[in-house]
Amino acid sequence: MNARAVAPRTAAAVLVSVLFLIPLWWVVASSFRPRNTAFAYTSPFGWEALIPVGGDVSNYSALFNGYFLRAVGNSLFVAAVTVVLGLALSVFAAFALSVLRFRGRELVFGLVVLSFLIPFDAIAIPMSGQFRDWGLSNSYLGLILPGLANGFAIFVLRQFFLGIPRELLEAARIDGLGWGRILVQVYLPLCRPALVGAGLMLFLSQWQAYVWPLLIGTDSEHHLAPIALANLRRQLEVDFGQIFAGSVVLTLVPGLLLLAFQRHFTESLAATGIKD
Amino acid sequence: MSGPVSMSDTRTSTIPAGTSAGERRGRTRRAAGPARPKRIRSRQLATALLYLSPALLAIVFLRLAPAVSAVVASFQESGLTGGSGWAGLENYRFLFGDPGFVNTIVVTVLFNLVVNPATVVLSLGLALLLSQRLPAAGLWRALVFAPAAVPVAVSGVIWSVVYQPDGLANGLLTALGLPEQPFLTSAGQAPPSVMVTVLWVAVGYWMIFLIAGLQDIPRTYYEAAQIDGASAWQRFRYVTLPLLRRPLAFVLVANTVGNFLIFAPIQILTNGGPEGATNLIMYDIYQQAYRIGDVNLAQAEVVLLMLVMLVVVGVQFRLLGSKEGR
Repeated sequence: MNARAVAPRTAAAVLVSVLFLIPLWWVVASSFRPRNTAFAYTSPFGWEALIPVGGDVSNYSALFNGYFLRAVGNSLFVAAVTVVLGLALSVFAAFALSVLRFRGRELVFGLVVLSFLIPFDAIAIPMSGQFRDWGLSNSYLGLILPGLANGFAIFVLRQFFLGIPRELLEAARIDGLGWGRILVQVYLPLCRPALVGAGLMLFLSQWQAYVWPLLIGTDSEHHLAPIALANLRRQLEVDFGQIFAGSVVLTLVPGLLLLAFQRHFTESLAATGIKD
Repeated sequence: MSGPVSMSDTRTSTIPAGTSAGERRGRTRRAAGPARPKRIRSRQLATALLYLSPALLAIVFLRLAPAVSAVVASFQESGLTGGSGWAGLENYRFLFGDPGFVNTIVVTVLFNLVVNPATVVLSLGLALLLSQRLPAAGLWRALVFAPAAVPVAVSGVIWSVVYQPDGLANGLLTALGLPEQPFLTSAGQAPPSVMVTVLWVAVGYWMIFLIAGLQDIPRTYYEAAQIDGASAWQRFRYVTLPLLRRPLAFVLVANTVGNFLIFAPIQILTNGGPEGATNLIMYDIYQQAYRIGDVNLAQAEVVLLMLVMLVVVGVQFRLLGSKEGR
């Protein structure tokens, strides 16, 4: 690229970045404006809308006083349990589908692929009726269970396992290692990116969950954070300050995780064969 | 060691018949004899069953069975007494005769025909721009990616405030000397307003995948093309695009699947309005099941949605995946 092209392209990059950032920046800035005072600066628009001089953290202290705090705790708990159990479940299944040789393997793999082609949100409605019959509507179990059946996590891990040279497996077998130890001692250490990627996927699926908890989590004790935020928005007298602050909190958690693990995430998805 | 079911049974390593013995210690431990693939297979089958069963149970009970039950229920109707009877194709016939549902189909298809190509084109354009060696390139990439961290429901909440009459959008418009807009309260502006919400989250996310794909293209290809006198457009058309086909196909398919299922932004921003202009199918299904209370009609819609998605995914994989030469 010649030097003359750098300046206009950098300008374009800056412009695009600013466009993407502005709504988020405004939300962060407004989260420091108590109650509904933020709108005083957007109508008419003033620079104070983006720089919260004279603001305070009262929205955050109001927010972390009960209902919303509990909902964030619920979300963290549900997501953490889903990551641990979901990873365990997916790792074993992926190992069986990539390393073990048995009759019917292709069929089982086909079922796994089919399962993530069936959109969960679409079957959530028939399933929520089923969960209510089972008495799971107001329970953490009811919130966690559907997140565990993540065919895509199995798929990603399987693709990664397939990329590990079979010579390693054969050597381990000859050394007398059982399947369980081969999985834990040979495969897992080589699959850190895929594990992080799949774990992140499981976490985000629950942190973002909206349709399912809306359908089954009916009492406020078990509300997840996105539901709690949407409920704040729906109140008769909306406290926009709290909505801004809540949006920041809900974005910060996955934002930090993605920032820390972004490379692992794309690496693991790259292994699924989206790249040549 | 225990019986054939033991998952830690280690001795039956699958040594191919003609391996050079060399340093393979295990071979001497057990008189290798003629290989017994059948036995080995059945042992692996037992281990496989053990390893697969938790995931399979979850997948069958939490994905496949509900899908099947949706199909069955879509052919039934519920009587006033709560029992259900066979209805054949009645639910489907009713849906296609219902102007409300026809509107939902039209709105959903149009929305996807615009938003999916737009996502791919924008994320590709940004990937091309931000994968270049610009000053602070990593920063611009991070800023464009930032909205991808926003959970979908939260993006709905954020834009509902941005679009408020006294919100950020109108504030910026007036600052630029432009007239204020109704956004979500106008049937004409509501669909594009929702699209902006969806694009805001999606574009940076998919851009990251495309940048990863771009970085995998060997630089020597570009150098060779340049020596052959290829223009920038030709280098894009004959080097970048073909080598980026798989990431592009992935982005298009995954994004389309996601966008057929949009629910939270609709429920938070527009409730399907004004005048059904944003009544996308997932929202209509939800309304059908919970507001109107006709679960069987909702199931029929679920089945139609699943069919469309399977067709979309199948067609896109064929179109973009089968022309594989390398």
